[in-house]
Amino acid sequence: MTIESALAWSTATLSPTSFLTPVIQMMFVSGETGEPSPETTTLIESIVQDQVQHMLRECSVLATRRGSRSISTDDLFMLIRHDRAKISRLRHFLQWKDVRRSVKDSDDKGGDAGADVGAGEDLAAGVMGGGPAGPGPEAGKKAKRAKVDLVWEVQSFFNEIAPQKDDVEDEEEEEMNYATLQRLKNADERTKNMTREEYVHWSDCRQASFTYRKGKRFKEWAGFGLITDSKPSDDIIDILGFLTFEIVQTLTEEALKVKDAEDLYKKESGAGEQMNGKKRKRERGLFDPPEEAREPVQPGHVQEAYRRLQRGNLKAKAMLNFTRNAHRAALKLV
Amino acid sequence: MSLAPSLHRPSSRERQHYGRLPHQLPNSIRLRTPNPTLSDEAMSNASNNNNLGEGADAIAEEDPRAALFREHYERTEARLAAVLGGGHTSDDVATLDNGASSLSVTAPATHAHDARAAATPKKPVRIIDEDDYGDDDEAEEEDDTRTSPLLAKSAVNGITSTPIDTPSLRITSLSNKLGIERTSTPSSEQVKSSDDVRKKLQQDKTAAEDAAKRSFHTLFYTLESDRDAMLEQQKLDELDRQVENEMSGQPASAATNGVPAAPQQGTLSSTNLGASSLTLKHLIARIDAQRDAVHASDAQLRSLISEVRKNRSKWASEDRIGQEELYESMEKVLMELKAGEHAHPFLQRVNKRDAPDYYTVIKHPMDIGTMMKKLKQLQYKSKKDFVDDLMLIWSNCLKYNADPAHFLRKKALYMKKETEKLVPLIPDITVRDRAEVEAEERRLRNGDADADGAEDSEDEEPIMASRGRKAPSKGGKGSSTARKAPPAGLEGTPGPESRPTAPTLNNAVSNLKNEFLRADSEMEGSVNGFSTPPPGTLTPLGPNSMFRSGAPGSQADNSEADGTGASVSGLTLESEDADLDDLEYKTWKQVTKKDRAMIAAERNRLFRNDHLNPDEPAILRSKAAMRRWLRHRKHAMAEGSSEGPASALDGKDGVQSTAGETLAEGMEGDEEWQLPDYYDPVCAIPDLHERLQWLEDSQGHVIQQVEEYMRIVPKGQFLAPDSSLAKKVESNMRQMQETRKICAKIGIVKQMQLQSQMYQNQFQKYDPQPFVEADVEPMVVSEDGPVMSHYVCRAALQRSVAKVFYHAGFEEFQPSALESITDIAGQFFQNLVKSLGIYREVPKVKSDIPLTMPSGTTTSWMPRFTREEAILHALNANGVSLETIETYVKDDVERLGTKLTGMHDRMRSYYAELLRPALDNNAGPDGSGAFNDGSEQFVGGDFAEDIGEDFFGFKELGLDKELGISFSVPLHLLQNRMHNAYAAQNPSNVTTTGVLMEEPTKFEPITSQNIGSQIGLVQEWFLSRLQDSSAEELIEDDDLPPKQRFPKPRLPPTGKISSPRKRPLREQQQMARKKRKLDEEKDDNGGNDNGNVGNRGLGKPIGKLKLEVPAQKENQNVPEPEKDDGSAVGMISPESILAS
Repeated sequence: MTIESALAWSTATLSPTSFLTPVIQMMFVSGETGEPSPETTTLIESIVQDQVQHMLRECSVLATRRGSRSISTDDLFMLIRHDRAKISRLRHFLQWKDVRRSVKDSDDKGGDAGADVGAGEDLAAGVMGGGPAGPGPEAGKKAKRAKVDLVWEVQSFFNEIAPQKDDVEDEEEEEMNYATLQRLKNADERTKNMTREEYVHWSDCRQASFTYRKGKRFKEWAGFGLITDSKPSDDIIDILGFLTFEIVQTLTEEALKVKDAEDLYKKESGAGEQMNGKKRKRERGLFDPPEEAREPVQPGHVQEAYRRLQRGNLKAKAMLNFTRNAHRAALKLV
Repeated sequence: MSLAPSLHRPSSRERQHYGRLPHQLPNSIRLRTPNPTLSDEAMSNASNNNNLGEGADAIAEEDPRAALFREHYERTEARLAAVLGGGHTSDDVATLDNGASSLSVTAPATHAHDARAAATPKKPVRIIDEDDYGDDDEAEEEDDTRTSPLLAKSAVNGITSTPIDTPSLRITSLSNKLGIERTSTPSSEQVKSSDDVRKKLQQDKTAAEDAAKRSFHTLFYTLESDRDAMLEQQKLDELDRQVENEMSGQPASAATNGVPAAPQQGTLSSTNLGASSLTLKHLIARIDAQRDAVHASDAQLRSLISEVRKNRSKWASEDRIGQEELYESMEKVLMELKAGEHAHPFLQRVNKRDAPDYYTVIKHPMDIGTMMKKLKQLQYKSKKDFVDDLMLIWSNCLKYNADPAHFLRKKALYMKKETEKLVPLIPDITVRDRAEVEAEERRLRNGDADADGAEDSEDEEPIMASRGRKAPSKGGKGSSTARKAPPAGLEGTPGPESRPTAPTLNNAVSNLKNEFLRADSEMEGSVNGFSTPPPGTLTPLGPNSMFRSGAPGSQADNSEADGTGASVSGLTLESEDADLDDLEYKTWKQVTKKDRAMIAAERNRLFRNDHLNPDEPAILRSKAAMRRWLRHRKHAMAEGSSEGPASALDGKDGVQSTAGETLAEGMEGDEEWQLPDYYDPVCAIPDLHERLQWLEDSQGHVIQQVEEYMRIVPKGQFLAPDSSLAKKVESNMRQMQETRKICAKIGIVKQMQLQSQMYQNQFQKYDPQPFVEADVEPMVVSEDGPVMSHYVCRAALQRSVAKVFYHAGFEEFQPSALESITDIAGQFFQNLVKSLGIYREVPKVKSDIPLTMPSGTTTSWMPRFTREEAILHALNANGVSLETIETYVKDDVERLGTKLTGMHDRMRSYYAELLRPALDNNAGPDGSGAFNDGSEQFVGGDFAEDIGEDFFGFKELGLDKELGISFSVPLHLLQNRMHNAYAAQNPSNVTTTGVLMEEPTKFEPITSQNIGSQIGLVQEWFLSRLQDSSAEELIEDDDLPPKQRFPKPRLPPTGKISSPRKRPLREQQQMARKKRKLDEEKDDNGGNDNGNVGNRGLGKPIGKLKLEVPAQKENQNVPEPEKDDGSAVGMISPESILAS
């Protein structure tokens, strides 16, 4: 399979500090069916790296402002506070991480770890796969899901902390994010017709992570120690792992959109000689070539996707209206 | 059109010929009519009838009075039909010999009067017989007698006068005038009619000016003609100066050329003293009455009076009779012509360089400048001279410029027309020397003796004249006189030929008509009775006549009324005819020329060479001009508005204007100013708002207008609007406050658990007040609209920001943060509104479907954005979308509310949890039944009642009564319970320490029995203690009740008791020093105590908050550590201190 060859290539050729393999896997999970070129993956990886380093820089600025020397999870939350969907996913992820930890503790004692450990390993995809692959209901019962409180939530209004009530079911969690649901649905669609081997590969890819079991390498890669202190908490690494997956996913989806639009345009306007051989319908039909044969996204698509994602919004420059100041947008988090 | 020829007309025949000309210009005909008389001709019926008929017709055409006239005419015609046969009429028609139908119409009228006169033949006769002229008791009689001279006149003349008299209105006036001056002779008629014409012309002019002035306010004239006006005016001024220069060399010799009048006694009243004799009339009357007592000649008196009296013009000359009037009017005419639009080429002598052959063609050159010169040199003897000169100018021009298309011809023709219009303004007077006149008078008087009867009657005319002056005051009788006149004419001497001069005055001396004219013009100047007959009328009855003319006032009025009444029509007609094209503009140019020139010149000086001349005087606003502006404005308002509100306004204006007027009057004479206000913008006064005006009511109190426009700012303008969102926010904030109250209680309870002891005011009461938005204080403003007070608005915004802060969870915040956020928010909202304005003001676009405006009109232009679109665009431009707003409301307000409620519940339950153990453990042992039923009141936080004070303010709310709780538990009791319960419930601390080190076995209590087992050193001390307490055994410090228990110092983490004691306060040092001795005595006790403490510290660590308590106690009791020997001793049990 092409993706496997790509993976093989990446592991064989690249330096140990690179994360091409998880990038390819994540892209596959995010909908890229073709074999992405090394240029594309390298581009994506560098974008992700840039984003992570930017995040860390911002976090250390926030921490300094708080009067702390080390960054905390709150700083990371603060960075993505405007993306409510992402915040919600992140909280979800952290909750399940908590659950996994407590289950693990109990498993250490109790010993029947089987499915739960598997669920725990699925941490990167925990949000998406939370439903099907997550810990069973018994695990949820066992380990009370610790609520991840945000600093700007209500409980911080008061100087006494009341214990969480069991029966309080926050509606925020009930309200699943539309994007998350959509992703789950897409994943379902794609896995519907998979063979067993394919599905195994798929689930492998879903577990791809920048951080899982390669924390040291990730820290080095992300510039811990240079940008901020070199001893981040476990939570921070996990959150960053989650966020890197989000970045790759968003980029890939956007790049695919760009590519689709480009294909459509070519089909409509050009339909020229270069298309005659490769022309195919977007809908997958009965006699369509296998999807692996599809053209992968090119670096140009990724760049365009990145540009689109960096496009400033009006809110950022609202205060500059009626002034002569040019708006210099800071790097946006994807 | 034909004025000039008429001037030359020698005979009535010629005139008749002219009379037959088509009457395009009724006025010109009228103008012509006086002329024959002036040239000493008897009037023919025809021309006269012609004149009057035309006049009547003209009046009928445009005057409402015409109806009256017609009515009169019909009445007279009816009478005529009744009295006379048709043959008579035809006869008359034949004599009239006039083809014009208008004449034939008037003809019957004349006949009517003839008939009337014939019907009353006796009366004149009786009058003639009447010799008693002194009899003045019967006005009618006088009138009758006055008519007698008419008898001497030709019947023709008599007839001519009648048609004028037909309308009653005219009759009155006519009789007045005639009576006053020359009696109603036909020639005086003519003179009078010429006066009328003059007056008419003048009135016409003023009317035109008025009309123009009125139109000035309704039309805007461009300034383009100003430059021409200025240039012309400059030329005119130049001319004037030139003439003046030439004149200055030769003083008015003509003025002095008169021969001094021979001393002669006569009535002063006969002296023509000009306009001012009115003011002197009583004096003159007095002098006349006692003429014999005055030892001064007439000439002396006359010169005396003429010196005294004012208002004489520069032309006035005592020795040249008639000069003043003649020259006055000539100058006026000349000025008028000179100021005319087309006068420019005729102002100066033709330059030979310009037209080399001019003087070969034109033998007698003439120009206005020369005429001015001649005028000033008094070279004109008569009207004729003057008019001839004028006509010479135009004819010269026409002659020289023979080309019909030549532009100067047009100008000359225009000027000629203008001249013809103006010439009637000049009275037909021939200037004569006084000496000559007086000589004539004398001669006449001498000749009185051999005068025949007719002359007799003439002789008496001055008397009649003076009588007549009085007589016309009864207008009704005047008419009868006039009516009687014709019969007199019929009967009387056919004298026109024999007395070709306007027979007028008594003396019937010829050549005196100029005198009459003069007298007439005097009359115009509203000189009443004293303008008496000319010098020649020196009747012996003079004094009598003076007496009789006692009440002359009304005459003047009447004569004036006559003037106006009679002369309305013709001239207006004519002027319209003349300037048919663009009359208004012409009038405008004419009337305003001088003023415009002045202003333009002023401006020109100021801006000469295209830049501002700093040396020139600035254009300033002047009082007079401001007054003028006000006046114009008032006029305009009076004209323009008659509606309700306007009239109300006017009323107010009226109140004001009176004051303004009087003020204005005092300052300086208002020069007349014909220009509209926009020529003088400097002096315009901005309108004072009606409500700011200073008005007084009828009692002179100032009207307070304050109430009418001062208004109180409506409440709530600076409050958050009462929206549902605001309500939600408010409720969220209240919820937060409630929750914070519970939090405070939880904090107290927690503190109680930790602390073994507490104090009355250890805990601050947390009782937040509900938020109330304060409005601005009642404020009075004078204008509508929002209050534009930036600091108030900013404060309101700041309050809103603070609310948002609080709503976002900040219990308190720094002012600087609030300030900066407020600034940012203000900036943001400014941007928002600005962009909204931009979207609202985008140019309109054409729409296919016509829209209907709210006002009802339809327009095809619609705004580019609808209101909603504009708002959405503005929001988007500022980074706000409806989704974000909705999200905010949903998540940050509504969901926050539910979250807060949930949090409140959690806090309450937590609080209840905290309290419950204390109850459960201690309710029984303490025997406090208050807590028997358990948790509920604690859940509600009511336990504060039990602490013995209104801790949370529930007493104030009356909850104590409601719950029936009347007892109270001392705070320390509750605290104890709490603390103990907490200690009991949280054994973990104790147990952990317990695990660390076994608690040593209790010391055996010291009793008097086992005291011996103690160290010998302390045995004595223990003994004394035992004796003091008189108890069985000594109690250990730990077992003392908590109050008396001595707190133990905390052991630092190092385990070493090395830290120095806290330094005691200054004031306590004194006490400490006092005790030092005592301490030194008991120094030995320290070691014991110290060890004890260390033991216990290990055995039972205590919460860190306890540190404060021992510190305080130590300060009181413990000697200063510095003074000690450096060891950590000095811990003295309270018992020992008490003991000492």
